[in-house]
Amino acid sequence: MNQTGQTNITRRMRLFLTVSAILVVVFAIRLIDFQIVRAEAISEYSYENRAVTRTIPAIRGDILDANGEVLATSVYRYDINAAPSMVKPVSRVVDGVEQVISVEAVAADLARILQEDIAVLLPKLTGTSNYVNLKKRVDADTHRSIEELEIPWIFSDAHQNRLYPNGAVAGNLIGFVDTDGLALAGLERQFNACLAGVDGQERFERGVDGIRIPSSAVVTQEVAHGRDVVLTIDASLQYHAQQTLASEVERLDADWATAVVIEVKTGRIVLAAEAPSVDPNDPGKSAPEERGARVFQYAYEPGSTMKTLTAATAIETGFATMATGVVAPDQMPLFDRTIKDFSPHETWNLTLAGVLTKSSNVGIIKIAENIPASTRFDFMQRFGFGKPTEVGFEGETGGLLSDYNNWDGVTNFTTTFGQGLSVSAVQMASVYQTLANGGVRVNPVLVAGCADDAGAMTSVPKTTSTQVVSAQTAQDVMLMLEKVVEDGAIGQATAVPGYRSAGKTGTAEIQEGAGYGDYFATSFFGMAPVDNPQYAMGVMIYKPKQVHTNSMAAAASYQKILSQVLLTNRVAPSTTVSPEIATEW
Amino acid sequence: MKSLRKSRLSAPVVMILVTGFVAVSLLHLLLTILTSQSVYELSDLKREKRELDTTSQILSEEVSSLASNQNLLNTASRLGMVANTNPVFLRLTDQSVLGQPLPAPIASAQSTNLVANSAMIIESTQINQVTVPASTTEPVAIPTTVSTSLIPASPTR
Repeated sequence: MNQTGQTNITRRMRLFLTVSAILVVVFAIRLIDFQIVRAEAISEYSYENRAVTRTIPAIRGDILDANGEVLATSVYRYDINAAPSMVKPVSRVVDGVEQVISVEAVAADLARILQEDIAVLLPKLTGTSNYVNLKKRVDADTHRSIEELEIPWIFSDAHQNRLYPNGAVAGNLIGFVDTDGLALAGLERQFNACLAGVDGQERFERGVDGIRIPSSAVVTQEVAHGRDVVLTIDASLQYHAQQTLASEVERLDADWATAVVIEVKTGRIVLAAEAPSVDPNDPGKSAPEERGARVFQYAYEPGSTMKTLTAATAIETGFATMATGVVAPDQMPLFDRTIKDFSPHETWNLTLAGVLTKSSNVGIIKIAENIPASTRFDFMQRFGFGKPTEVGFEGETGGLLSDYNNWDGVTNFTTTFGQGLSVSAVQMASVYQTLANGGVRVNPVLVAGCADDAGAMTSVPKTTSTQVVSAQTAQDVMLMLEKVVEDGAIGQATAVPGYRSAGKTGTAEIQEGAGYGDYFATSFFGMAPVDNPQYAMGVMIYKPKQVHTNSMAAAASYQKILSQVLLTNRVAPSTTVSPEIATEW
Repeated sequence: MKSLRKSRLSAPVVMILVTGFVAVSLLHLLLTILTSQSVYELSDLKREKRELDTTSQILSEEVSSLASNQNLLNTASRLGMVANTNPVFLRLTDQSVLGQPLPAPIASAQSTNLVANSAMIIESTQINQVTVPASTTEPVAIPTTVSTSLIPASPTR
């Protein structure tokens, strides 16, 4: 090789090395730029392209009865949608042969499964839109049937939905939620903080094929599922009571009816039923006034069931005993009014027990006339009147109990037999619970607490016991009320064979305008068994058009519900007999 | 001579490096294939789980509905059962009968359910499904998850 050739090679080599060096420097600069200077931004940009953020929806908690039976739960429902712009015939392999199914045939399948009219559904599938809803909130079974059709232009969106497997059983207590899951009424709303959880969030990376990259998920916010609300209600008894009341409302042509049963020793409400009742699965079918819980939210003048409280006050304060006698004509003048007994009768010589058995308005006024109004007012308050019970049900009424200083002359006396004040059914049942529990009032409880997955309870209501009257007074009143069941025609209709039970009738007039209307709120409140009180209960039938003049209307329901409560809870029949108590002198 | 010895010495090193590189590459390839397979298997399993969750939900709803008080009353009435509202007990200690035994009155039969339940179904839609033998293992609590469908979510709103 000559000198010139050698020089050319050396030059080329230098040129190559120089170019290479420049390229290396350029790449090095770019490398430093990518890897160091803009490393974080590029990495973030890349991650954003791969990463997907997903909300982990919190599952709303269940509402359970005292035995764990599910009254409300969360399930998934699906909106079935289509993309009309993508609609075309569908290829399917049938018996190994590929077939093309026309859009019309596919639409017919969809219409059959969705139970929609093909004439309505088919036009929805035409057009250039990417979205049209075919049906909202179909159940999982229907959704699966749609899925099996394998239609590439059909899509679905899952939504949490509330399901009430027992329908209207305790529906008036449970309340309901709207289609977006917003609690609208009842315990669903009142205990929303317990039931509703907190949605979580996670981020994960996805490959170009859309498949999730393993181990890439990062939970940015832990999901906290809702907890369960546990009631004191027994769903089976609640159902039985609602069924009984519904039957009686129909038979008596009444507006509505309620029943409440309280466990004497614990204050737990075993049932709080009413008819008509609302089915939370479809609350729109019920009239607005039927969607609440009248046991807690409706106050009425109690009528003669109030005489029990007056009798307890009289005995406790020493103004009367069971044997205290009064002369009770069928009416008496009182200021500008005439107070009458329920029906005309000859003058009776009644003991306090007789006053209760005969339910004499005149008699109870004479028993209570010497008790100071302030004392009677005080006892009414101690029995829980004038304020909502400790249940604290949303919209719960405390009734109307005006200060005794505001009572006029007539009201001073009519309050002894249940006029001039109003109470809710649960307030009145609480009076009978108190007397059945040796004079100790235990606050009524409807919700046992809020339970987490492990069963640990929070929000457990405090139980307070208050001695309202002495045990002896309570026993005396209960024994007198037993005579109502034994001797009274209506009382006898409430008796459960084999059990000693006690109670009091109530036929309350209903205010209409300035006076009272033609129909009554008839009720019966009591306790059983007298020799070992377990349950206090009450039934109220509102405006029965048949059997509307006395509380016989409530007796049949009371007897049926009490029987079922005793039977279900295996309460042993009585083994003692009631003592003799004089009702006349 | 010295450079020849040097090149002889470096040959095994080169071989080891090349072999190592090939081995690592093959191992990497193998792991990549396995991981890819696992990803798709995991995806299939998740899909299967969603299917089973859906089946579980369908069956749970049916069981709840069939066990509802309304359904029990309807079924009992169809079978001609009448409730006796008169409780009677036999005390074993002295063999005494507590309560007054009375026959159930026909009038007590409330054959028609009066408590609404729009979620109630009359019979299972799963009766033709293959019966799965009961598990011999203890049931474990399965955390509820969102059961998104196999049908893709709607592309637009």
